[in-house]
Order: sequence, then C-alpha cells, then structure tokens
Amino acid sequence: MIGRVLAIAGAVVADARRRKVVWVVALFAVVMAAAIPSLPSYGVGVVEAVYREVALAVSYVAVMVLTLALAANRIPAEVERRTLYAVLGRTVRRWEYVMGTWLGIVATLGAVTTAFTLVVVSIGWLAYGVPMWVLAQGAFAVWLESAVLAAFCVAISAVAGPVVVSTAALAFLFIAHTREALLEPGTLAYAVYPSLDAFNIIAPVAHGTGVGIGYAAAMLAAFVGWAGALLLAGNVMFLRKDL
Amino acid sequence: MDAVAETYAAGVPALLVEGARKTYGTGAAARHAVRNVTLRVSPGEVHGLLGPNGAGKTTTLKMLLGLVQPSAGRFEILGMPAGPAARMRLGFLPEQPYFPPQLTAGEILRLYGRLSGLDRGGLSRRAADVLERVGLQGRASSLLSTFSRGMLQRLGIAQAVLHEPDVVILDEPASGLDPVGQRDVRNLILELRERGVAVLLSSHQLSEVEAVCDQVTILNRGSIAAEGSISDLLNVRGQMSVRVRGPEGDLPAAVLELVSDIAFAGGEWMFSVPDARVREAVDALDEAGWELISLNPKRESLEDYFASLLGETPAEEDAA
Repeated sequence: MIGRVLAIAGAVVADARRRKVVWVVALFAVVMAAAIPSLPSYGVGVVEAVYREVALAVSYVAVMVLTLALAANRIPAEVERRTLYAVLGRTVRRWEYVMGTWLGIVATLGAVTTAFTLVVVSIGWLAYGVPMWVLAQGAFAVWLESAVLAAFCVAISAVAGPVVVSTAALAFLFIAHTREALLEPGTLAYAVYPSLDAFNIIAPVAHGTGVGIGYAAAMLAAFVGWAGALLLAGNVMFLRKDL
Repeated sequence: MDAVAETYAAGVPALLVEGARKTYGTGAAARHAVRNVTLRVSPGEVHGLLGPNGAGKTTTLKMLLGLVQPSAGRFEILGMPAGPAARMRLGFLPEQPYFPPQLTAGEILRLYGRLSGLDRGGLSRRAADVLERVGLQGRASSLLSTFSRGMLQRLGIAQAVLHEPDVVILDEPASGLDPVGQRDVRNLILELRERGVAVLLSSHQLSEVEAVCDQVTILNRGSIAAEGSISDLLNVRGQMSVRVRGPEGDLPAAVLELVSDIAFAGGEWMFSVPDARVREAVDALDEAGWELISLNPKRESLEDYFASLLGETPAEEDAA
C-alpha cells in the first residue's frame, strides 16, 4: 500500500524533474538578485528586514504559481491521456493514486522551496553580510500553505478541468486570506471562517526573530486539518467518478 | 498447487462478466451504454470482444477494471470480485496507451512493476525480458519522446505482461503497429495462450481476431449480437467449399448444375456445394479428369459475418 503510494509520488517527482522545474528556481534567483538594487536605502537593520519581506513575498508568489502549474492539471491530464487506466487497472486503489499524486507534488514543492530559501539566504548573505536563516521559517510556512493549496487543486481536479481548478484555487487563496479584513475576532463567523492566515508569518520573520516551536506546531496542526479535509473530500469525489 | 491453479482446477472462469449494465442519466434521458452483457473467459482461452464504435466494448472493459461504476452486474477475476486485490494477477493494455514523454522506457516499467508489487531485483530482469519480447531490446534508457507510435504500443504491451499475469486484457493491441508489429502481437497472444493465460482481446481488426481467438462476443448498441466459437459463427451450415483444378475451359456441365458461388483465380476453381450433393459433384469431377485440391466446410469471412450481423441488429437506443 505505502509502496504503491510512494511509487506514484516518485513518478510525479520524476515527471516534474524532467519538465525542468529547476528553471523556475533559476528564474527566481535572477528575480531576487535583480531586486536587491531596487530596494530603498533604509538604515542599517531596516534594509535587511525589507529584503526578508520581499524575499518571502516573491517566494510565496513563485511557489503558489508553481503549485497551480503542478497540481491543477495533473489528474485531468492523466484521465484525458488515459495514463490513469494502466495505473488503476492494477492493484492501485483510487485513494492511493490521489495520495501519491499529492505527495509527489508536495515533495517537489518542498525541494523547490528549499532551493528558493538557499537562494535568498545566499543572496542576502552576499548583499548584507548576514546569514538570514530565519527565512527558513518563512519558507516552511510557504511550503505548508502550498501543500494545502495542492490538496485543494487535487480535490477539485477530481471533478473539474484545469481552468476551473486554477480559478477556484485563486478564489480559495483570496478568501482564505481575508478573514482579518472582513470579520471581528471573537465572533462565531470569525471562528468558522476558512482561513490560511496561520501560515502568514511574514511579520515575525521579516521584522522580528521568527516564531517559536509552539507556533510551528500550530501551523502543522492547521496544515494537517486543511490537507486532511481537502484530500478526504477529493478522494470521495474521485471514488465516484467514471473514468 | 498455487491459488490460481486451484481456482482453475475448480472450473472457475478466469474472467466473468454477468449481466453487466451501464446506464447514464435517468428517466427519459437515460442512455444505455451496456445492457445485460455476459462474458466468460476460460484459462488458456483467447476471447475476442468485437463491435463497431460505440458498441459498449470499452465501457464493459472499464466496468471490469473498476474504472467505471456499473449500474448492475457481476464482475469476477479468477473467481474473486473484480477489485484491486483481484487485479494483482491481471494485465491491461488500454487503447492507444500514452506515457509521459519525459520518462524513459525503463522508468515506465519500473513504475508499473512497483505498482504490480514486483521487487527491485526481479523487476530489472523482468523489464529486460519483456522489452526484448516486444522488440524494444536496448531501449530501456531511451526517452519516450523519441519513440514512434508503434514503439509506444509495444511498450504498452510490455507493461501489461510485465508481472506475468494470469489474465490479460488487450484493448486494440495492434493499433498503430506495422505488419511486422501486428504479427509479433499475434505471436505474443498465442504464446500467452500456450502458457495458460486467459486473454480478452477487444479489437476492430477482424483478421487479427479471426487468427487468434477461440471464442468471440460481438456487441452492438450495448447488447450481445452474437457469441460463440469462430467456427460456429462463420461456418455456413449445409455447404461445403471446394477447390479444384482441371483442363482449360469451364467446369463440367454435370458439376455446374450442382454448385454456386463460382470463382476462378490462379488456375483454380472455387465453388460451394450443398452437403447432400458433395458426393455427386466429386464423382462428376473425377469422371471429367479434374483434380480435387481441397474440400472444407464453407466459411464466411469474419468481415462479411460482422457486416451482415450488424445490418440485421434492430436499431434501438444508441449506446455509448
């Protein structure tokens, strides 16, 4: 069972690797390097914080775009090309296929996010002479949120095409980051509103000393809850689908 | 005796589809893709599944493979309900298989081998064997983007038989293959039959079906239009087919009045004669000094049988 899930995940990673995902990392490095001279000249300490904020923002956008590219069309393309038939015609259960696909995407995103982090830390070190390892915390949060977004895409793509999946995913991201702007803390609506704000740690990472173990554990719990619920829904929908 | 042999010894069919039905939509909008289809494939049998486009062949196969939820019916593989566990001993070639072009043939076989539960050591050896068997020896490390349509089809066949299944389902296996490739596929199917593997072959290539299938089921508009052995379906009852060679000129007058469907080619005459008048016709040929080359039960071509059968089938609701 686990072997089959990992085999499918491995195939997703191999496919991403062959599709030259590494170029995304290269492009990201170029963008970051180019951004340095354009940053405003604040005082010592402030400019590094601004750099960290920009680095996290660019990382976030790049990883989310990559998530959509990897996840929105994965299942619809496999159904359309019928590659899925030879997989599910074996002993593979549908949930194993969904989980394997998601894990492969998450592993790829993890590798890319790690590479992004190394790029921003290296460039920051070269530009400001300070190793900003706190950025790894921000990268971890970005990766967890991208994994939730991948779960959303995989779930929706069980019943819809890539255009619908991408549009729904962008709407999901937008809605999930507007709770603070729309609702008052302490209300019932605030409590039940679907929010991904737990993963937004730009402020403590860019302008503070990062987050503690307790907050990291809370992020992990939010990730497990979100990803678990979305994958469960995706599996239920995919189980009923005629291929 | 292993579990599969015990299953076979108990007379259990390798594949069983009983009363399969698939309906899309409900009420007045209901569309019946498959209606009451029953198939039994025995070990070591090659069973052809024929039908025009939209006859319900692929939907039937998909229900058997769990890719489509059946509206009704019983589906068994080696005596077990056709679920993931039963598919352990099944190999499947989808129609026009597609593989990611960024991967190599070896990577594809490693993936499918792992999904079929093969261990790494056995997998390398087995992958090399099947690649050679389908004519792709030495191409394990080639990117699939460099493969022709026929080579991809061969790779599709390789993945279907990689884990030495006891039951193989082939959907249009000769599609995209050149004549040599088609012959190789035919030989592979016959080899599988010799090993006792049950093969369910869905195909439009009637010559291929006629050459390798023991039994056929013909679907039309979602229902079974005909089923049986090739001989039973194609032999024309009460008629013999005769080939003779003789002096220049027409057939003897005594023979001409007994026979029908006369044709002449390559210095040989061919005609049909009713069973009851065979002796009379042969004696007349003998007396006229003609040489009898062959005398066989008259057999229709599968193409003719297929065309006439589909022409007879009453038009009902369209199937998917």
